[in-house]
Amino acid sequence: MGVAVGAPQQGALGGAQAHAKDGSAGYALAKLEELVNWGRANSVWPLTFGLACCAIEQISAAASRFDIARFGSEVFRASPRQADLLIVSGRVSNKMAPVIKRIYDQMSDPKWVIAMGDCASCGGPFNNYAIVQGVDKMLPVDVYVPGCPPRPEALFYAIDKLREKIKAEEKLGVRE
Amino acid sequence: MTEKIIEKLTAKFPAALKDHSEFRGDTTLKIDAEHLREVASFLKNDEDTQYNLLVDVYGTDRLKLGQTPRFAVNYELYSIPKNSFVTLVVEAPDPGRNGGADGSGRFGEPLPKVASVTDIWPTANWLERETYDLMGIEFENHPWLHRIMMPDNWVGHPLRKDYPLGGEPVYFEKDRNNPRFAHLGKQIMAGPSFETELPEEMDTNGHMVLNLGPHHPATHGVLRLATELDGEKVIRVTPELGYLHSGFEKTGENKRYEKFIPYCDRMDYVSPMNNNLSYVMAVEKLMDVEIPEHVQYVRVILAELQRIASHMIWLGTHAMDVGGTPHAAPLYCFMMRERILDIFEMVCGARMTTSYFSVGGLRWPLPGAFMDAVRAFLKEFAGYYHDYHVMLTKNPLWLSRLKGIGILKAEEAIALGITGPLLRAAGVPLDLRKVRPYCVYDQFDFDVPTSTDADSYARYTVRMEELHQSMRIIEQAINQIKPGPYRTADRKVALPPRQEISTSMESLIHHFKLVTEGYLPPVGQIYSIGENPKGWLGFGLISDGTAKPYRLRVRGPSFVNLQATNTMARGGFISDLITIIGSIDIVLGEVDR
Repeated sequence: MGVAVGAPQQGALGGAQAHAKDGSAGYALAKLEELVNWGRANSVWPLTFGLACCAIEQISAAASRFDIARFGSEVFRASPRQADLLIVSGRVSNKMAPVIKRIYDQMSDPKWVIAMGDCASCGGPFNNYAIVQGVDKMLPVDVYVPGCPPRPEALFYAIDKLREKIKAEEKLGVRE
Repeated sequence: MTEKIIEKLTAKFPAALKDHSEFRGDTTLKIDAEHLREVASFLKNDEDTQYNLLVDVYGTDRLKLGQTPRFAVNYELYSIPKNSFVTLVVEAPDPGRNGGADGSGRFGEPLPKVASVTDIWPTANWLERETYDLMGIEFENHPWLHRIMMPDNWVGHPLRKDYPLGGEPVYFEKDRNNPRFAHLGKQIMAGPSFETELPEEMDTNGHMVLNLGPHHPATHGVLRLATELDGEKVIRVTPELGYLHSGFEKTGENKRYEKFIPYCDRMDYVSPMNNNLSYVMAVEKLMDVEIPEHVQYVRVILAELQRIASHMIWLGTHAMDVGGTPHAAPLYCFMMRERILDIFEMVCGARMTTSYFSVGGLRWPLPGAFMDAVRAFLKEFAGYYHDYHVMLTKNPLWLSRLKGIGILKAEEAIALGITGPLLRAAGVPLDLRKVRPYCVYDQFDFDVPTSTDADSYARYTVRMEELHQSMRIIEQAINQIKPGPYRTADRKVALPPRQEISTSMESLIHHFKLVTEGYLPPVGQIYSIGENPKGWLGFGLISDGTAKPYRLRVRGPSFVNLQATNTMARGGFISDLITIIGSIDIVLGEVDR
């Protein structure tokens, strides 16, 4: 299949056959899965969703100093329908848990979840009547980020790990 | 002042005043439950008292203190004209097994009852709802006594002493095939199986009820606003809270005094330094500790830096919400906030959750490069401060979205218990740093900015001027500060220096006692308030003489200020609601606690 990209990546597209003489980018051969994963991994759009302290670090990650755009994730979407990634940034209370579950269900496939911070990962310092001990009780979490709150760099590391994970997915549209 | 009140009260209501006490400068009056409303309206309206601001209402479960009746309600009052605080304690009569049974207690037992003071101080509305929800005290003649923090179908009242802290063991294992993890990601948590109740007066047939949140980009967190609309006009806004309720008070009652400091960071998570300061001040008041002057200066510098950082978040998100400058303002604001966070990181190693202040001083001395970093920041910030003004102050979009929007007059604001920039924008120059200076705020020359327009733009100008005043305070503080010890020499509170431990037996004992047992404050009850960027952050502490607070109460300024949403938004347009939420400057971690 033909791909209109300037410099196709060596690894992801299985080698590019570029004919630069007439100025065209030529064509590239790739497994469809790898091509789609390559695209998905480089534009993971997170949901505009914040719970507590970690949400402020999430905003800092999007601001100019840390600049999440370097990882293709700067397009925060307010609608779950348009988002690929749910960053659970903060403590999940018993009252909020069904709402998060509903938001996750509203997101269209393929979708991924990052549990940002200790609270979302395991309840953090709040082991009490009000807080759900980890969002993984109701959502399948792809990457856990430790920290209270994690620095923006830690979030980037998680996004990078998620990209690795997306690139390695073998079958399209099939997730366990 | 106190003698006068007591004299007048006993003359007017001989049976009302049961007891009175003084502790650490706090006056506590024990009022008979029968006479609460008479005394309350007297204290509010009398010439000599004028307690027009109800600061806080919270319940106490005295089960483990062995006092009867079991429940008491505390009212913290402040008189703006007289600049005086007083605490009322009202013991709720024990309902007995067969009292007004409506089956709303945990095991269906009747709830103790106290008369509501909502018509005297409207701010009591949410405070009483919170007490009802978490402590299980019923307020008679309350306009709408419903749960506010916990879900409507929750059973029990978490702050009661016979209610367990809760929680569960959390396992950390690498092996994901462990059957222990079989349930992960599969737990069924479908949408709420019950409809959240809305106030009866909401007309759901004639008008449209628009649901804003809990997941909405402009609500600054997980806040739900049930908005009754006629076309685009707002008829009524009912905020629904509790989506971030984390049980801070209950957690604090199960920890030692010192160990609650890290939790303070996570309440108003954009101003942790100020939260730490207010909390350590409360414990220091309870313990009666003398704090070295150097520490006081450092606390002021860091608290004012944090005030700037907090206002940066407010300005950036507010400007983004109303679309005055879609993306420039937030980026500019976050840039300056990052500079402040760098200074914090240098001081304590953390960007946001600082926990730098400890009871009796600071956790460790300031790093050597601190003063230069603050000076460099002030120089840089002055330029950016000018830029913010250029970007927004005369920006026509900004003006048209903010001018005349969300008016909250002074008398309404006082009735609703509003504090902080909201109250000052209504023309009341109430700033605790000025009227009752704590730390060393009386050493500095600074103004309390006010405005009389009482709209969103007035709040903007007041906060912008506060940034300027904070800069002035920091500048004076770094010029006046002198080197000194970084914590008190009182060995009952602060750890002895490391060198002393290896040479002095007494220091070793102090160290051992402090680490293993903590410090033991005297029996008593205090209430302490600090001026946070968002308003008054109050801490109520009741000590039973052990190392853990018997009752820890947090009064979040955002929680009380948010109650004004309805008053401000009524009659305006739905788009103005976004402006109003932005101009109140809420942080949901503190609203829900």
